[in-house]
Amino acid sequence: MPQHHPVIEVELPSGDTVSVVRRRFSGGPGPRVAVVAGIRGDAPEGVRVAHELITFLSGVEDRLAGTVDVYPCANPLAAHRGLPRWPFFDSDLNRLFPGDDDGHPPERVAAALNRDVQGADQVVEVRGARAAFSEVTQAHVRPGEALAAERALRLNVTVVWERTPGPAASSTFAHQHPGAIVLEGGTGNRLTPGVGKDLTDGLLNLLAMMGVLGEGELPFHWAALARPILVHDEHVQRVRTERGGLFLPALAIWKRVEEGEELGRVVDPTTGEVREIVPSPMTGRILAIRELPVVFPGTVVARVVCT
Amino acid sequence: MTVVFSLEAPYRRAYELHRLTFGQGGPVVAIVAGLHGNELNSMHAVNLLASSLQVQPPRGTVHLFPLVNTFGGDEGVKRWPFDDRDLNRAFPGDPRGTSVERIAAALIEHTEADVCVDVHSGAPHVRELPQVRAPLSGRELDLARAMGLPLVWRRAGEQLDGTGLVGAWRRAGRAGLHVVGGRGITLDTEHSGTLARGLHRLLTHLGMSPAIGPAETVADVTRVEIETHRAPCGGFFVPEVRVGARVKPGHLLGYMQIPIGGDRIGELRAGRAGVVMTVRAWPMVHAEELLVRVAATP
Repeated sequence: MPQHHPVIEVELPSGDTVSVVRRRFSGGPGPRVAVVAGIRGDAPEGVRVAHELITFLSGVEDRLAGTVDVYPCANPLAAHRGLPRWPFFDSDLNRLFPGDDDGHPPERVAAALNRDVQGADQVVEVRGARAAFSEVTQAHVRPGEALAAERALRLNVTVVWERTPGPAASSTFAHQHPGAIVLEGGTGNRLTPGVGKDLTDGLLNLLAMMGVLGEGELPFHWAALARPILVHDEHVQRVRTERGGLFLPALAIWKRVEEGEELGRVVDPTTGEVREIVPSPMTGRILAIRELPVVFPGTVVARVVCT
Repeated sequence: MTVVFSLEAPYRRAYELHRLTFGQGGPVVAIVAGLHGNELNSMHAVNLLASSLQVQPPRGTVHLFPLVNTFGGDEGVKRWPFDDRDLNRAFPGDPRGTSVERIAAALIEHTEADVCVDVHSGAPHVRELPQVRAPLSGRELDLARAMGLPLVWRRAGEQLDGTGLVGAWRRAGRAGLHVVGGRGITLDTEHSGTLARGLHRLLTHLGMSPAIGPAETVADVTRVEIETHRAPCGGFFVPEVRVGARVKPGHLLGYMQIPIGGDRIGELRAGRAGVVMTVRAWPMVHAEELLVRVAATP
């Protein structure tokens, strides 16, 4: 039976409590893999993947050669409302790591989660897509982390992106754990058909690759898995609007696009006037496209990757 | 009033960054309020100062930005409503970046001044004694003390986070002060008036305006001189003191009760003599949340 362990229990003012839990599947002395989902409450795809993983592992736990820790939802109150931040405090949990045991509840959650994950041989954070976007499945690893990149290439995603950490990275969960892999994909605050299964299959394949799960236990043939392309920062360009209005995308994710080809257009929402045609800055494929149409000047509406 | 920057908006008239300028020549002071759209005391304080500068123009130049986040102000929310970004985490900004980054860049550009002040209210769930937060030493501390606000809080971390406005000013080589008073989402005219007098005293200190009443400073402290009381458990906090109250050791600051039934489950008492600088205003509290801070007084 998987162990159900509260990583932290947060006492609420009303007298109620809310827990961040870990489900541990342990069948042998092999490597330990930690899979964390739901750090933001508007990423249900990650929570679904955790659910699928728990369901599968429950049936094979006695045949595992290592340990899998699944944290199905790190931010339960936010997930309850489908919002990114921890309610009341309006805190972005993914800007509070490594956390503070003496801080307010989100900071204590960050500290407890961070501590609980320590020592894992591989940490994977599963998100969905960013709010407002539709994105291809992708794994992010830090440049120079060759083992993480090698593992990410087996995660059944479309793209593995060796991504340089941004200015806020040091306060994120993934940054606390060298070699961590971040999985993204789908549509912001939505479940996207196929994405959850793809990411779950990828995680199972990772477990097999690391020797935690026997290859014979995999519910698919390895040949059916995607073969991602590995890209670096210089291969990816963000595309911004210059005008405000409604952005109407012209293309779907992973479509091929030529340099200068229309990615979408910004229109005046009341007159229909076309304010801007947004061109692709290069030839490649669409990694992400904005689906929430309201935009201001400077809003990112697409990411294009040179393939 | 001058519009120094505008940004096209999808469903309404363009966003405009408004600046009021009084006087001319040096020295130059820039005062910003309303980066957070729900911090009404800061806006009112700057407008009170504007009224006074209309009557008595300064020697030198004073730029006032009473409400930067107009869209947030319209909706009564702290952040920029479009993408829920905190304007005060978007500095130094980027003129080619997202909407908040563009506004931030414009604000940095148009607050080129010898002394810059960012005025805020407290968070919506706490009430703060009007205070200025300054580095542990140096010219900014002198300027902060010259404001004569009830509390001077000397804090480590002179550069602050560069994504905040005060930190960005300091990194740009400008003297930057962080002023806070009252509570978010609430207008407290007494605190607003206190903040406005502090801003005026700063101008007096710089030789730009005639003197007004005496300094109101009651505490000048660092972190170790602040007694912080946190909730021992979740519950309902009932304060028994207001900000600005003088307390002695043993003074009842407030008590915790259970929210259903009201049974009292604990009391908070001052451990030292001082002035109450922070009081929790929203009574439903989680364990370890801030309830009361007492600053040591001389």
